[in-house]
Amino acid sequence: MNAKISLRHVRQEFAVRPAKGRQSIDSSPLVVLDDFNLDVRQGEFLTIVGPSGSGKTTLLDLLAGLTRPASGQVLVDGREVTGPGHDRAVVFQQYALFPWRTASTNVSIGLEGSGLNRRQRADKAREYLGLVGLSGFADRYPHELSGGMKQRVAIARSLAYEPDILLMDEPFAALDAQTREQLQDELRRIWTETGKTIVFITHGIDEAVYLGQRVAVLSSRPGRLKAIVDVDLGERDNVEDIRSTAQFADHRHKVWTLLRDEVQAAQAAGHRKVLPDGTAPDEAPAPQPTTAQRSAA
Amino acid sequence: MSTLTTPRPDQAATPGPAPLSGQDSPVSPTAASTRSTAPPALRRTVATAGSWLWKSAAIILFLALWEIGPTYLASASTRVFLPPLHEVLTAGADLIASGQLQTHIAASLTRSGAGFSIAVVLGISLGLVIAWYRPLHSFLNPLLELFRNTAALALLPVFTLLLGIGEESKITIVAFAAFFPVLLNTIAGVRTVDPLLVRAARSLGLGSLSLFWKVILPSAVPTIFTGIRMAGTSAILVLIAAEMVGAKAGLGYLITNAQSSFLIPQMYAGILTVSLLGLLVNILLVAAEKHFSRWRTSINA
Repeated sequence: MNAKISLRHVRQEFAVRPAKGRQSIDSSPLVVLDDFNLDVRQGEFLTIVGPSGSGKTTLLDLLAGLTRPASGQVLVDGREVTGPGHDRAVVFQQYALFPWRTASTNVSIGLEGSGLNRRQRADKAREYLGLVGLSGFADRYPHELSGGMKQRVAIARSLAYEPDILLMDEPFAALDAQTREQLQDELRRIWTETGKTIVFITHGIDEAVYLGQRVAVLSSRPGRLKAIVDVDLGERDNVEDIRSTAQFADHRHKVWTLLRDEVQAAQAAGHRKVLPDGTAPDEAPAPQPTTAQRSAA
Repeated sequence: MSTLTTPRPDQAATPGPAPLSGQDSPVSPTAASTRSTAPPALRRTVATAGSWLWKSAAIILFLALWEIGPTYLASASTRVFLPPLHEVLTAGADLIASGQLQTHIAASLTRSGAGFSIAVVLGISLGLVIAWYRPLHSFLNPLLELFRNTAALALLPVFTLLLGIGEESKITIVAFAAFFPVLLNTIAGVRTVDPLLVRAARSLGLGSLSLFWKVILPSAVPTIFTGIRMAGTSAILVLIAAEMVGAKAGLGYLITNAQSSFLIPQMYAGILTVSLLGLLVNILLVAAEKHFSRWRTSINA
């Protein structure tokens, strides 16, 4: 058994509160994940795609230990996850940097109280800011940085306390296309250099295929593991533009086909995103065209 | 690069209105220098001076009206109750020369400073506790709403009865008036912390205590400072009114005393001092607020 992360029969449900001004949809709990099983290998780069409302973020919260499952087990190194820990780090889509701290002190916040003094923490922060290509930006505040730079700081922050596992929740979704591709390459480089286990959630099929060694496709709500696609793009170093190769297109199509049915199902059921606090601001009684369409297109 | 250089000839062709509107439209110094023969530094100085002139025009007009109006437009009897500005300024200068004005300012500042400090310390510490413990908040909130909507001055007789007509009752009423803006803003600041930051902090392994000190408190600081600024304003307003009712010193006393002694220019000098003092306190607190919310500029911009 060499699974780094194991999810066993995980079920998660929310008591959905309708957003303000909406009538109650349904008082029964909303099952977001049901009988979910997944193993992630040590040192693996796993990407997860799924239609809107399939429980991707819920899954990541469970892995991070920010929430506990309603039933089933979440295991890391064979031990049950009971809360956040320094063996795991999370990178959020909206960066979640502390705006009153500089890049350097944002990166080192996870090291405070670990026995390192201020100077050692600053050295560590400089080291990891260098790793993400932000040497010389240590004293900048988040509002002085671009979106891509903010996300680099967030990645440095999550790496700084040297976790084994990096959990990433659509980290590049808010960035422009060029910055996104650049950061994708850098993330692959960091992964190769550090050997972390990475679980990367995305709604971009290209991104999932490009980054992942395996792509896990989730079903529409309640989320289950629908299929795992092994990605084998051959030797990457010698290929100029791997996204234009026939192999890439094959994998992309495979994932697209798996996802299409689920997106249609989610759309027909009118599924929307459920926020971590249990509100579903977009959830409407009548199905309306969803933005999930775009991820399949 | 070409997008930067191509518009220049068009702009250079119409230099007429550009220097005038230079203050409103942000123009890079290089672009500006190509459009005008005047040195950029000089142009900027002129534009800044013009903008200051425009901004202070209303005040200058008001003061001019105050000076001219009573002399030429008002009847003789009105002129007694509304003396022109120069008489007021002369009376103010006399008050300063005799040291009276300084004494009154010191008395007022001591009282409002003491009450304000009590309010800030109590307001922030109680606010943090109330916001942190949800049940306490829902328990106390109705009472706080009731007190907040009670005009502080309505309680002046109560404080006078309980604490006498000395300093205690005045400091207490200032503290009462200044307490609620601080308290309510502290509560609001703590309760409106971005939940994403809390999630991030928890995922970084911060415990409850460090979450509070490192995330919740710093993110509430700008909101707390808004409360402190509001408290500073109301501390002065309430104090002046309280001093008008019963005191032996202070700016409020100066104003009512001058009125009952028929020293009308002195009365206006006192009022003018109150305005300037309030303005000064507000400027200082706004500066402090800005200093402590520097990191929020990107959100406000």
